[in-house]
Amino acid sequence: MLDDQKFLSDIQSDSADTRFAAWRQAGEASPAVIPQLARLAARQEGAGKAAREALTTMVHSVGQDPASANRAAVEKGLVEIGGPDYALPVRVHALRLLSNIAGEGSVPAIAKWIGTAELREEVVYCLERIPGEASNKALLTAYKDAADDFKPRILAALGHRRAASAVSLCLEAMRSSNREIAVMGARAFGRIGRKPAVAPRYPDPNILSGTQATDVIDGMLRYADAQVKEGNMAEAMPIYKSALERSQEHWQCAAVIGLARIGSADAAAAIFPKLKSNNRRVRITAENAWKSLAGPKA
Amino acid sequence: MRRRDLLKSSAAAGGAFLFDIVPRRVLGQGQPAPSDTLRLGHIGIGGRGRTHLRPEADLGKPLPPTPGQGGDGKGLRSPALSVALCDVDAKHLDDAATRVGGRPKTYRDFRRLLEDKDVDAVSIATPDHWHALMTIMACQAGKDVYCEKPACNTIEEGRAMVTAADRYGSVVQIGSQGRSQVAAWQAANYIRAGQLGTVRKVMCWHYASPAGDWTPDADPPPEIDYNLWVGPAPWLPYNAKHTHGSFRWLIDFGGGQIRDRGAHIMSIASWIMGTDNTGPASIDAKGEPPRDGMYDSAVTMEVTYEFKNPDWTLVWAQPGTPSTELQARYGAVYWGDAGRLTVTTGDGASTATDQKVKDFSSQCDCGKVPRSPGHNENFEQCVRTREKPIMAMEAGHRVASLCILGNVGFQLQRKLQWDPVNERFINDDEANRLLSRPGRGPWHL
Repeated sequence: MLDDQKFLSDIQSDSADTRFAAWRQAGEASPAVIPQLARLAARQEGAGKAAREALTTMVHSVGQDPASANRAAVEKGLVEIGGPDYALPVRVHALRLLSNIAGEGSVPAIAKWIGTAELREEVVYCLERIPGEASNKALLTAYKDAADDFKPRILAALGHRRAASAVSLCLEAMRSSNREIAVMGARAFGRIGRKPAVAPRYPDPNILSGTQATDVIDGMLRYADAQVKEGNMAEAMPIYKSALERSQEHWQCAAVIGLARIGSADAAAAIFPKLKSNNRRVRITAENAWKSLAGPKA
Repeated sequence: MRRRDLLKSSAAAGGAFLFDIVPRRVLGQGQPAPSDTLRLGHIGIGGRGRTHLRPEADLGKPLPPTPGQGGDGKGLRSPALSVALCDVDAKHLDDAATRVGGRPKTYRDFRRLLEDKDVDAVSIATPDHWHALMTIMACQAGKDVYCEKPACNTIEEGRAMVTAADRYGSVVQIGSQGRSQVAAWQAANYIRAGQLGTVRKVMCWHYASPAGDWTPDADPPPEIDYNLWVGPAPWLPYNAKHTHGSFRWLIDFGGGQIRDRGAHIMSIASWIMGTDNTGPASIDAKGEPPRDGMYDSAVTMEVTYEFKNPDWTLVWAQPGTPSTELQARYGAVYWGDAGRLTVTTGDGASTATDQKVKDFSSQCDCGKVPRSPGHNENFEQCVRTREKPIMAMEAGHRVASLCILGNVGFQLQRKLQWDPVNERFINDDEANRLLSRPGRGPWHL
C-alpha cells in the first residue's frame, strides 16, 4: 500500500512527472483516498487530470475480477463521489468508471440519480453497462416516471441489453401516439428478438419520416433474423415475405437473404421469382441466395 | 447572395437543389449515361472526405485512380458523380460544393442524405466515432458504403456493421487502401508464393502520438453543429484542439496512432497473413499516456499480439524499430525463416517494398493474390457486380479489432486473453464491458 498522504501530495505536485508517477501507482492506493481525489478531480488541469487518472487507474486495478478484495471498496467510493455532494464533472467521471466495474448491488444507488436532469444520460449509460437483471429492473422502473423525451433513450438501453423482461414494454411503446417512442419501441423489440405472447403491432411506416420508417422495418427484420436463429421459422417467414413485396430493392434483398437462411422449400419458392427481377441488385442477391440453398431444398 | 448563404438557406429548406437527371444525348458525345453513373453522397468532407469527391467537371473524362488510392495506375475509373454532400461544419459543406461544381444537394444532418433516393452509395469520412452508426444506417437505407478506416471504435460496433452489411447484402469497403497498392500486392504475392519461408513475426513501427497540452474549452463556432459532431460518443465540451483533425488523440473519438495508421499497416499484415476472419489469442500492451495535457491516447506503446494455428506474432510499436532496408516514417518488417522484407507506409502513394520483391512479382504472379484496380475503383466496380471488395466489412472489423484490442490492453495495463471466435475476453469482466459503448441521445447501434 502507498502512503496516502504522500500519494495525495504527489498528485498535487507542480511537477507533471511527479503527478504522473503517482497516478500510475494509484492501484496500490487505499480506496479511502477516493473522496479526496474526487475533490481534486474537479479541477481541469494539472492535479485535476492526475486525480481523474488516479481514479481510473484504481478502477482498472480491480476491474478484472468481480470478486477481488478491493473491488467492493473502490465501487463504494465511486458511488459516494457520484452523489450530489460532488461537482457535476466529477459525478460524470464516477458514473463512467462505475459502468466499468459496478455490480448489481450498486444499481439502486445509481438509479436514484436518474431524476437529475444533467445526469440522466450518464446514469442510463452506466446502467446500460452493468450486467444482470437489476439494471433492467431499474431501467423499467425509471421508464414509468421518465419524461416523454427521455423514454426513447431508456428503450434504446433496454434494446441494447437484449432485455427479455422489456418485451411487454416495447409492445406498449410501439402503440404510443408519440412517434419517437413508438419507433424506439420497434427498434428495441427487434434488438431483443424475443417472441412475445401477443402479436406485435408495429407503427405504420407510411405515417413516419423516411428514417423512422427505415428504423421500424429494420426492427422487423432484426426480429425475424433472431427468430431464424432460434429455429422459429414460422414466425420469421411472413416478415420476410412482406419485405419481399416492398418496392425498395434493399428490403427485397434483406428478405431474400433471410429466406435463404430459412432454406425451406417454401422459402426457395418465395425467392424464385426474384431470379428474374428487373432490378440488378435484387437479381444478383437472389442468384447468390439460390446458390447457397442446399440442393434438395432448392 | 454569397454561395455559403445560398447553401445554408437551401439546406434549411430541407434538401437544397434537385439533382438534374440528364440524358446522355444532352451531355454530348463521350459523356456516360446517367444510368451508368454511380451517384455518390458524401458524409464528412472536411479532410480525407475531400479526396473522394467526384466533381461534375470530371464526368466523362478518362480518369486514372486517385493518387494514393492504390492500383497500378493503368486502368481508368468508372463514371461517378457527387450528387449530395453532408457535413456538420458549414464551411466544409461550402468548400466541397464549390469543388464539386454543378448543383449538389447539401445537408447538415446525414439522415436526410440517407433518405435521398438519388444517392446510390455513400462515402463516410467523418471522425471515427461516427463510422459504425453511419455505415449501419446507410445499409438500412439501401446504400452501399465506402467508409474510411478505422471501421469502428468498439468490437460491438464492428460486429454490428458486419451484420448490417450481411443483412442487406450491402457492398461495404473500408478505406484501408494499402492493400490496393502495388507494393502491398507485390509483398503478398512474394510471401504467399513461399519466398520468405514461414513468416513467424511481423514488426510494425510508427512514430509516437503527440502528448498535447491544455487549451481551454470554448463555445463551438456557429458554423459547427457540435452536438451532432459528438453524436453517439460520451459528451465532452467543445474544444478546437480535439475537434476536426485532432479528435484522433482522444481514445473515445480517434484512439491514437494505433487506430489511425494501425488500420493501414496492420491491414496489410492481416491480408498477407490470412487473418481477415479471425484474431489473436492474446494481447500484451505496454505504453505511456501523455503525462499532462488534454489527450489520453498512448504517446508511446508496444502491443504484442499472439496468433495461434498458425502461430505467429504481430507487434505494433511506436516508435519501434524502423526497417534497415527502406527508409520511411512507418511500415512493417515481415520476418520469415528464409529472410525478411519491408512494406513501408501502407496508406499513401509512397507505399514501397524491397527490390527483390518487385523483381519477383514482375516475373511471377504465383501467389494467387487478388489485385485491386485501385481502392475506390474496386469499391465502385463491386457496387455494380455485387461482389465483395478487397477490404470488405469482416476484414475491416477484424483489422479495427486489432487496434481496439491494443488500446484496451493499453488502458487496462494487463495482458489480455482473447477468444477470436466469440469475440470476448477470457476471465476479464472489465475488459468485456469495454467491448461496447452505450450510445448517447438518439444514437444507438
